[in-house]
Order: sequence, then structure tokens, then C-alpha cells
Amino acid sequence: MKRLAWLLLFAVPLLVHDEVVLTILVFTYILGMLAVSFNLIFGYTGQLSMFHAAAFGVGAYVTELAMTHLGVSFWVGMLLAALFVEGISLVVGSICFRFKLREFYFAVVTLAFSEMVRLVVLNWNSVTNGSLGINLTTKPTIWIPTQGLIPVEGTRMWYYLSLVALMAMVVTCTRIVHSWMGRCFAAIRLNDGLANALGIDVFRYQLVSFLVGNAGAAIAGALYAYYLGYIEPGYLSIDQSLAIVAMVLLGGRASMIGPIIGALILTALPHIINFSAELRVMIYGLILILTILVMPKGIVGTLAALRAAPAAAGSYAKRSDVL
Amino acid sequence: MLQLVVGQLLNGVIIGTLYGIIALGVTLTFGITGIVNFALGAFMAIGAYLSWFFTDMMGMAYPISILLAILVTAACGFAADQTLFRFTRNNLINGLIVSIGLISVIQSALLLVWTTTPKNMHYVLPGILNFGWFIVPKMKMVVFGVLMAVILMTYSALTRTWAGRAAYAFAQAPEAAMLMGVRTRLLQTGVVVYSTALAGLGGALYASLYSLEVSMGSSYILKGVEAAILAGIGSVMGALAGGIVLGVAEAVGSIFLPAAYRDVYGLVFLVLILLFRPSGLFGPGR
Repeated sequence: MKRLAWLLLFAVPLLVHDEVVLTILVFTYILGMLAVSFNLIFGYTGQLSMFHAAAFGVGAYVTELAMTHLGVSFWVGMLLAALFVEGISLVVGSICFRFKLREFYFAVVTLAFSEMVRLVVLNWNSVTNGSLGINLTTKPTIWIPTQGLIPVEGTRMWYYLSLVALMAMVVTCTRIVHSWMGRCFAAIRLNDGLANALGIDVFRYQLVSFLVGNAGAAIAGALYAYYLGYIEPGYLSIDQSLAIVAMVLLGGRASMIGPIIGALILTALPHIINFSAELRVMIYGLILILTILVMPKGIVGTLAALRAAPAAAGSYAKRSDVL
Repeated sequence: MLQLVVGQLLNGVIIGTLYGIIALGVTLTFGITGIVNFALGAFMAIGAYLSWFFTDMMGMAYPISILLAILVTAACGFAADQTLFRFTRNNLINGLIVSIGLISVIQSALLLVWTTTPKNMHYVLPGILNFGWFIVPKMKMVVFGVLMAVILMTYSALTRTWAGRAAYAFAQAPEAAMLMGVRTRLLQTGVVVYSTALAGLGGALYASLYSLEVSMGSSYILKGVEAAILAGIGSVMGALAGGIVLGVAEAVGSIFLPAAYRDVYGLVFLVLILLFRPSGLFGPGR
């Protein structure tokens, strides 16, 4: 069933020739990666990290800087960016988790670190070109058997690249969530004191989930920047962090597909309904509010609850509550 | 040099009281309803635009338009409480997201009504006070005085009246307070509305000093939350002190350190406080 869905997605460019639709899907896949990686920290481990936009933006900047100054290819640059983000995340995560910051305090401290990184990017003109941002002229290249090394250009190639990247991200996260490590994440989310008493190293697993999530964000950032062809400090803004939270909440935080659906809706909505910029922002806010008030489990969670409602009457903890 | 430092010190204190009034709203709402209302900055913008509208467009006297602006802002706060915040009591993350959604709604509503052009109110009280070797605009002194008075009055109302002590009791032990006859729903709604009214007052006074933009509140709410945390959540005088510490640190700090990074210093300070004194500078210690 799931494999069939992935296959169908690969067939989309053969059936759909509308550039706008394909572009929306490329953005959905890349932002979906971002949301899925965030959901590992937020949905599965229960930590409201506001550092995700920083990891996303730094991933984009470091990829570009590595390509220009070290002369490496896009892929090596992306890898270096992911490593660099891991370095920062290790520092930020160690501080936050060592001091056992919870909920609001964790959100505030990660937000503070994220703002610090943004201010550095914004003001370090000689390296980042400040608020003007950087135009990216090079393209990532891939090797194709008959054609050799060719640049990734055009919507169709980006479609396949982003779909493969999303697939890799989803498979990795699914593997993690269904492993021993994933159970530890869930235990920490549900009751970290109890998890500790059961012999789970809470600090270690919180840090692992933070690191893996942020690495995903860095890779998504590199892809996003090179698809758009432009980097600016807005990548690291609080608004970007909130957009990620909105995608995950709208889609549903207890599943892998939820954040991707959230990304699809929030990406496609501005194109489907043609509103002025002000109204668009207002509708965005209303969606956020209504999601929380009307369906706090998100679209996927609400649908699952509707389907399971007759069967689950009278049963306590469902498997879906734990995983 | 000394003149510059003293001037910046005064500026910092005055801006700090503006941070303080937002921090007071943050602290009160958090203590009584268990959520952090990030939309207080947007309510501040409502108050600012309304006071500009009543003074410059309708030609009313400035004090009257401040009162009207506060009333309308509080009415908006009441509407938001009844339709939104009532359902997110004691749910920190949901409250956070709802209030953030509310920011988008309020900002775009303000943009739809009053467009993106920055608004400048005419000088309500021109002139400066000359203290010999440094000068302060009269309006800044008025703003400072009004905000100080309101914060001090809030403090004495909280400590001396029945309703104020009920609020303290509720913050300490909600169930015990309920058993003693505190009407909790009324108290919670009242606090949310009062905090938005405070934000409206802050905005109305801000309008007489600076130019207005729709997003003006977002830096103030961040500073307000920072100030509230610095001082220790739940303390009224702490909110004022936290705001002033932050304002002075920024203003004086930007003389000696690169000004582009002035926001970073506050953040570093905040992180250190949260790590080593989570109950705040003036809290009961670790």
C-alpha cells in the first residue's frame, strides 16, 4: 500500500505537465523533509524545539560557503553543512538537556540560541552578505549512466531529486521510530522521570533525537536554497520555525505522513486561493488557531480517531498512543 | 562621555518601563491561566494604532484617545479570551500556538485597515526638560511616569485588595483558592483582559514617541517575555525591574559594544539566567 503510494508519486510527472503543480510538489517534498525531521524532535520525543529554522538556514549557508570557498561539489558541501549543524546542535542540545529544561523553558532557550545564530548571520556581512542574501548561480550535479555528470535543472529533475530525498528521510525516521531508540523517545515523551527510572539514558536519547532532526533540517535547507537559487537570513527567522510547527500540527504529530500533508496544504493553499498578501497571513493564522481548537490531533490524527472510534470504545491505551 | 552614558541610562529606563508593562501582562497571564500570551505585542499594536487614529484622524484630546484605545483593546482581549484562550487554559503549547496564530490575524487586520505606511502621530507634548547637563523630552518623562504609576498601582491592588489576594492565592494553589470562594473563571478572564488592557496602554503611549508599524509589537513581546523570565515569573515588581534591567543593559551596552549585536547580549544573559537561576534574578533561588 505504502510502496504503491510512493510509486504513484514517481509517476506524477509523467501524468501531470503543469509546471505550477510540480513546483508546489517540489516545495512540499523539501518542506516535508523539514517537517518530518522536526516531528522526530517534537512529535516523537516531545521537545518543542525552536532551533529548527536555525539548523535549516545554517545548512543552506554552509553548503554555499563550502562550495564557494572550498570548491567542493554540492553533495560534499551538504554533508559538511550537516556536520557543521551537528556541531552547533551538539552544543545547544547538550546545554539544554544537561540542565533538564522542560517545555516552555526549552522552547525559550532554543529560541534564544536560534535568534543568536540569526543575528550572527544577519550581521556578519563579509561572509553572509547580510540582509541582502546570496544569489546561488551553481547547480547541484548528478551522474546519470548514459549522460555523465549533468546539472540538476528544471522542475522535473528537481521533482525526482526532492522526492528521493523525502523518501530517504521518511525511511530513516521510520526506522528510528520503530527501533529500540524510538521506544526510548516515546518513553521520554510520555514520562521522562519514569523513563529515567527504567534505566533509559534520557539525556542521551533526547540529544540523539535533536541531532538527527537537525541534520535533516540542514539537508532540507541545502536543497531548498539551491532549488530557490537564493539564501537570505529570513531562512532562520522565528516565522520559519513557526511555519514548521504549523505544518506538523496541521497534519498531525503522531504520524510520519502528517507533517508532509501539513506541508502540502500550507504550500498549496496560497496558490489555490488567490488572496492578497494580508489576507493570506490572516488565513494562515486562522488555520493555526482552528487546528488547535477544533482538531488538536491534526488531520491525520482526527481521521484515525474517526475511523477507530467504534472499535476503540472502552479500550485504554492504543498502540497508536504510544508510537 | 558621562553625559552620553547618563542619557542612555535614562533612555534605557524609559524603554525598560515599556518592556516592564508587557512583562507584567506576561507574568500575570502565566501565573493565573498557565499560558504565555505571545499576542500581547499585537494588542500593543492595536492600542498604538487606535490612539493614533483617535488623536490624529478624529481630532480627540490625547488622554481621551488613550482611554478609548485601552477600552477597545481590552474589548478585543475579552473577545479573544472568550473565543480562544478559554479553551487553552493550562495548556502551554496550545496556548502558545493559538496566541501566535492570533498575532497573524491581528497584524493582517491592522494592515487591511491602515495599510503598510508607517504612521507618525503629531507631537502631543513637544519640548524638553533641561536638567543642566542632560536633557529629556517631556513626553518621555510623562510616559515613564504613567507606566510607573500603573505598575505600582497594580502592585498595591494585588497585595491589598481581596481580588488581588485571590489572584495570588489562585496562582499558588488553584484548588484551595476555589474552595475559599474565588470565582476562578471570572478571575482568569479578568486577568487576560487586564493584561491586554496593559498592552493597549503601553501601545497608546508608544504611539506618542515612535513611528508605528504593524509588527512593532513583536520585539516588545520578546523583550517582555525575556524581562519576565529574567525577574522570575510571577513577580510584579520583578517584571518592572526585569524590564528596566533589560532596557538599561541594551541602551548602555550599545555604547561600549557593537550595536548590531545588542539583541544578542540580552539573549545570552537570558540563557545564563535560565540555566543557573531558573527562578529568576529576584526569585527564591534554585
